[in-house]
Amino acid sequence: MKKRSAAQEERLPLEKEVVQLHINGQTHALRLEPNRLLLEALREDLRLTGTKCGCDDSSCGACTVLVNGQPQMSCLMLAASYQDAEIITIEGVADGSELDPLQRGFMVEGGAQCGFCTPGMILTAKYLLASNPSPTDQEMSDALSGNLCRCTGYTQIFTSVRKAIELMREREPHEVRS
Amino acid sequence: MGTTLTTESPIGARVPMIDSEGKVTGKGLYTDDLALPGTLVGKILHSPHAHARIVAIDTSEAVRLPGVKAVATGRETPVKYGILPIGHDETIFATDKVRYVGDNVAAVAAETAEIAEQALRLIRVDYEILPAWFDPEKSMQADENLIHAEKPHNIEKDYHHHFGDVEKGFGEADYIREDRFVCAEVTHAALEPHSTLAQYDAEAGEITVWSSTQVPYYLMLTLASTLQMPQEKVRVIKPLVGGGFGGKSEVIPLELAAAVLARKAGQPVKITYTREEVFYAHRGRPFQIVELKTGVTRDGRLTAVQARIIQDGGAYCSYGVVTILYSGQLLNAMYEIPNVKFDGYRVLTNKPACGAMRGHGTVNTRFGFEQQLNRIASVLGIDPVEIRRRNLLKAPCITVNGLRVLSYGLPECIDKVRERSGWHEKYGKRPYGKGIGIAGSHYVSGAANSIVRSDMPHSTVNLTVDGDGIVTIFTGASEIGQGSDTLHVQVVAAELGIELDRVKIVAADTARTPIDIGSYSSRVTFMAGNAAMAAARHAKNQILAAAARKMATSPENLVIEGGRVMCSDDRRLAMSFADAARLALNGDGELHATGSYRPPAEAQGGKFKGAGVGPSPAYSYCAQTAEVTVDPETGQVTVDRLIAAHDCGKAINPICVEGQVIGSVWMGLGQAVQEEMTWRNGRLMNPGLLEYRSASTLESPLIEPIIVESNDPEGPFGAKEAGEGSLAATIPAVSHAIYDAVGVWIDTLPITPEKILKAIEEKKVSEARS
Amino acid sequence: MPLPFFNVLRPRTTETALEALERHGADAQVIAGGTDLVPSIKQGLFSPRVLIDLKGLRELDFIRFDPGRGLEIGALTTISALAASPVLAVQFPVLHEAAKTVASPLLRNMGTLGGNLCLDTRCLYYNQSSFWRGSLGGCIKKDGTVCHVAPGSDMCWAVFSGDTAPALIALDARVNLVSPRGQREVPLADLYLNDGLTRLNKMADEIVTVVRVPAASADWRGTYRKLRIRQSIDYPLAGVAVTMRKDSDGACLEARIALTAVNPAPRRVSAADQLAGQKYAAELVEEVAREAIRTAKPLKTSASTMEYRRHMIRVFVRRALTDLWQNGR
Repeated sequence: MKKRSAAQEERLPLEKEVVQLHINGQTHALRLEPNRLLLEALREDLRLTGTKCGCDDSSCGACTVLVNGQPQMSCLMLAASYQDAEIITIEGVADGSELDPLQRGFMVEGGAQCGFCTPGMILTAKYLLASNPSPTDQEMSDALSGNLCRCTGYTQIFTSVRKAIELMREREPHEVRS
Repeated sequence: MGTTLTTESPIGARVPMIDSEGKVTGKGLYTDDLALPGTLVGKILHSPHAHARIVAIDTSEAVRLPGVKAVATGRETPVKYGILPIGHDETIFATDKVRYVGDNVAAVAAETAEIAEQALRLIRVDYEILPAWFDPEKSMQADENLIHAEKPHNIEKDYHHHFGDVEKGFGEADYIREDRFVCAEVTHAALEPHSTLAQYDAEAGEITVWSSTQVPYYLMLTLASTLQMPQEKVRVIKPLVGGGFGGKSEVIPLELAAAVLARKAGQPVKITYTREEVFYAHRGRPFQIVELKTGVTRDGRLTAVQARIIQDGGAYCSYGVVTILYSGQLLNAMYEIPNVKFDGYRVLTNKPACGAMRGHGTVNTRFGFEQQLNRIASVLGIDPVEIRRRNLLKAPCITVNGLRVLSYGLPECIDKVRERSGWHEKYGKRPYGKGIGIAGSHYVSGAANSIVRSDMPHSTVNLTVDGDGIVTIFTGASEIGQGSDTLHVQVVAAELGIELDRVKIVAADTARTPIDIGSYSSRVTFMAGNAAMAAARHAKNQILAAAARKMATSPENLVIEGGRVMCSDDRRLAMSFADAARLALNGDGELHATGSYRPPAEAQGGKFKGAGVGPSPAYSYCAQTAEVTVDPETGQVTVDRLIAAHDCGKAINPICVEGQVIGSVWMGLGQAVQEEMTWRNGRLMNPGLLEYRSASTLESPLIEPIIVESNDPEGPFGAKEAGEGSLAATIPAVSHAIYDAVGVWIDTLPITPEKILKAIEEKKVSEARS
Repeated sequence: MPLPFFNVLRPRTTETALEALERHGADAQVIAGGTDLVPSIKQGLFSPRVLIDLKGLRELDFIRFDPGRGLEIGALTTISALAASPVLAVQFPVLHEAAKTVASPLLRNMGTLGGNLCLDTRCLYYNQSSFWRGSLGGCIKKDGTVCHVAPGSDMCWAVFSGDTAPALIALDARVNLVSPRGQREVPLADLYLNDGLTRLNKMADEIVTVVRVPAASADWRGTYRKLRIRQSIDYPLAGVAVTMRKDSDGACLEARIALTAVNPAPRRVSAADQLAGQKYAAELVEEVAREAIRTAKPLKTSASTMEYRRHMIRVFVRRALTDLWQNGR
């Protein structure tokens, strides 16, 4: 085995700091080490395991969360750097027991097969529909292009998002729709 | 979410998958989401050398590191294992040699990941480096430095089959083509990295293992054999699995490593692979050379096919013997081929082991065969649709190599895609740069012969009915995202004539569920589906008998529909299913029924060496058209449209069938144009999802599935497989479309822009010359 | 995969950031979006003891355009903000197009302009885990002495793989660097060294703060062409940024071409100068496209071959020039 440099071997005397995270409308005070990633804080410290880890080179998007409404990858985020942000994870998408139209869309149209990309995919789609309620196929494709799925070929994910749009429109009062 | 369907049969209904709510809310638990108090982090030490003898391992420093609770090496667990009874060539950790970069040398369980990593760095291994083999064609000439001493010339297994008489067949041919196809190695890349959590109860001497596996039963068997524990002391539970595609269809090193560490530490241990480790665990589709010689008559009828196939299997057997057999055996059962000769070589090299991947063994051979058929059609001036029609099987039939084909939807699949694509208006008629192509493929609905040598059923399903008329299914079948659990519920509800939400399921827990050999080779719908149906039928018979007694009629006069037991002559004579169930309890608290499935003897194939692989109770069929745009200046291909007609016998759940077909086609497209494991001197150059390029939305066309239902006489409600058979056709269909667009055939995978460009240039040069 | 241990400082102003850099010297590294640095730290390519997180420097998150002063973009501006900017879309289309192709939407929401300009150079032998690199004994860029793509070479051939830099170079952008010693402004092209190892003409304690595009570059037609296998997520395998200013008759007044992902640095193609004052001619375009290949010297550092990457540079230059010259004003 290669010998590591002293700097690598030596563990710094790290103080855990109290970090306040605003997640799904709740504030959590956690004692975290400075190198703690948001992904780890969510999964391990808060047991919010809906956020997934699929790769180690930040290419797959399974760890997507919404940061102030915008999808970002929690595997790249130092938790303590996001104390001012409103973070939404997949656990915060449903309104109590009422599922979000996107969640229902993914269920009825087979948008979730193995389900591992689903949380990230739904959160990214949520941002898309918030900023563009009737996207074209190309716009949808662009918006979801950072979330890899290995099961659906994306076809059923598109159908699921379309279904969600339909469900959202049904939910709206008719006068607002026109 | 209501899934109640009171009037319609649940067969053919677009039922949302019963576990989908957990997946869309994030509440569903995968293995890495589980936590037990005091769980340690396990990490594996991997070999940095492709081929080396282990001279010594010193773990003393690692053991002394504070926070380290267990260190394990190969010495303690030397029992060999492997998924095939004839391929037991792996140990949990290397005992004498390492055979690829990434091979497993030792493991550590520690309080934190950081400590575990640090401990790995403290393990000192002395290696004596050996010459390594990377090229299968060179490796199969090896006389020394063998990868496994007991495998001469590094050949894991070779088969030489001859059915009919190919020399006679070539003699009858008016045209003979010989081509060589080379297919790059690809991998499953399921989005969930493998993960295992193990807990050992020292007092009871019992171990419980939660793992992301497609094969809980095989894992239980292997844990028992390698840990030398009685089977009844080993329990395997499969939580949600984030994709398999074959990559979790055998025992993967981390599963055993976690168990060994948990037993040693006396504390729960979890190992979750890094993405790089997933690539070393691999078991994907091998690099394959396909040399094909095919003879046809003037009018395009196949007279003989001869194949020489070499697969680069990597350092261990894995499923290799099955893979090489599939690659030859399933040349048949698609078209009528009277004479077939096959020489197959599964070769060992110093790279991670290849194994089963979606379309197992058939994909690369099918690419070669369909491509060659399209080339033949083009030379003979026969329409590619027509040449396929002229070579259809006359099903029901038994092929020259003993494969029994009953239902055969290929003709309809071909018709459907021809029609939907507008084939005759397009083929050969699009402007330069635009093209359409066609190809077919097929796959088994489970293997007729189990890989564990035993006469037991391949699937057993138990169910209970309680006094409230609630039915609980117990099945060992593994839901891996394909819809296994939902299928069971639909089949049982349909057979019992009750609402879906009366049916619950307990699955894939070896302590609670009966034996099912797993989710691989597309066997669940057919085999577990049949077992579930049989169990439900047995329960139904008991319930109808009890109801008949009460209603003073005979059971034959009764039906159950919409949750009510009714007299078929007089539907007013009825009672609720729950009431009828209660009558059937006979004072017991529950009614029990068991059903099982074992393939019929007629489906089990011939008697020759290797005949066991290939036979299946039923085959799925698929035809596909691909439409592409090729930029002749850059070689870049845009896939505009993919239509896939798949004969699944009967679509028990069309959402799942469509999802499987689309997913297969999409994965085939990835292999066709962009996926490839690249190697330099035994080192994988792209062990991550950034460089192993699984397609994003932007290269993924919307795929149009067409369900064809041939109603298999032995399938549950006529159903057969849907999850793999469509993959293989995509590759030759896309390749054919590229030919139609720019006039070049690419015989190596993946079909990169650079290869297309080079072929176009060469074509220009040769045309200028002539 | 957890990160190794380090401390994090979160300055709120450029001034305090510089103080921190000065205090921690070689132990420190700056981080903004983290999209390049965090995966690299996971791979053991960097082992900082202190990270200085610049995300708090809100003063450096802006896009300002003034017809007199030109375009100014703060280094902390996200790539998404560039891609969404109407000013860029209308007046600096080359930068707008380039920004839209960076990585993926998720990564664009995090990555910053400063980070994209200062991207580490990339190579298949370098961007690998510690285990992987260790099994090979490292490379000239990290922990070793040999360049595996050019054995015998004494320089590192890892390629610069940013998308916004060539676009900005084709806009004649300048970049402002500040350090505890003061500030300086240099042409962006001069920020880079054509060596994969040293790569940036920047001191360790300097921070890129602002990018300035001269007013004279506004309203140039421009386009960015990117070669990749996967149309999202991927770094470029080759990239071409082209800008052009035309007169009312459609003659080229000035044109600029910059390449990326084919050298250790983004490079200007000087042959573009010969287009000044010329009417469109296919042969002329072809000649410049051919010349561009001479600037591109890729080795086998990424998934594609050097031959194909060079070929694509030529096709991209030809197509981009033709498009800009023949279409639109």
